[in-house]
Amino acid sequence: MAVGRRDGRAGPDVLRRAGEASVLILISLAGGPKHGYALIQDIKELAGVELGPGTLYGALDRLERLGLIEPLPAEDRRHPYRITVPGAAALRVHLDSVERVSAAGRLRLQLGGI
Amino acid sequence: MDDPGLVRAALRCYPARWRRRHADEAAELAALLIRDGTPAGSVAWSYLAGAARAWLTPRPGRHLSAVACALLAGACLLGVSAGLLASAGPARAASTSQPRPHAQCRPGSAERVLAPRRPPVIIRGAGHGRSC
Repeated sequence: MAVGRRDGRAGPDVLRRAGEASVLILISLAGGPKHGYALIQDIKELAGVELGPGTLYGALDRLERLGLIEPLPAEDRRHPYRITVPGAAALRVHLDSVERVSAAGRLRLQLGGI
Repeated sequence: MDDPGLVRAALRCYPARWRRRHADEAAELAALLIRDGTPAGSVAWSYLAGAARAWLTPRPGRHLSAVACALLAGACLLGVSAGLLASAGPARAASTSQPRPHAQCRPGSAERVLAPRRPPVIIRGAGHGRSC
């Protein structure tokens, strides 16, 4: 399944329905390649979310199938992953979308005087 | 519930293609998480849920319709089995567990319905005899 655009233009938000775990993994990998345990630790620090290992591997498989991440050569028994160019583009589109919704929400709260 | 054997059992629930690729790393990750204080039961449960998702996720070469057909066939088999159990249950219960104290009681001729080797007890009530 091809997603993202290599030309850098914004495409559809493919992460909209990907789930929180997938987005958090992409955000973590945007900081550099990591293997499973390092991802769990980083996401715990970053977002305060403790991903279960089953959830982690499910999300990694899904992201790899979508071409948003790719595995690097194994180090011992650990398989590091890195974000791909389409993965970075998809993450940017998703974060922009979240930011727009967030800004709209804050504005409405202000206007409503709540 | 902190038995690492639970984690090993949960990992065996994954499809073979997944185990070939991830099993070693997943076992090591589980050991690290347990060492950090995560309960083994929680790790095992996460892997079990992941295994269920891995079986239900269509593979690249396998169409979604094939998975849907397999699920439908499984559901039908379960339905048929449940139906058979439901229909057999009451009949079996009636034939084995319920006492039948008056099974041989019939109004009318006492001689015809008497149990063998048991002396007849004749209850004389409202004008006709009944043996039990």
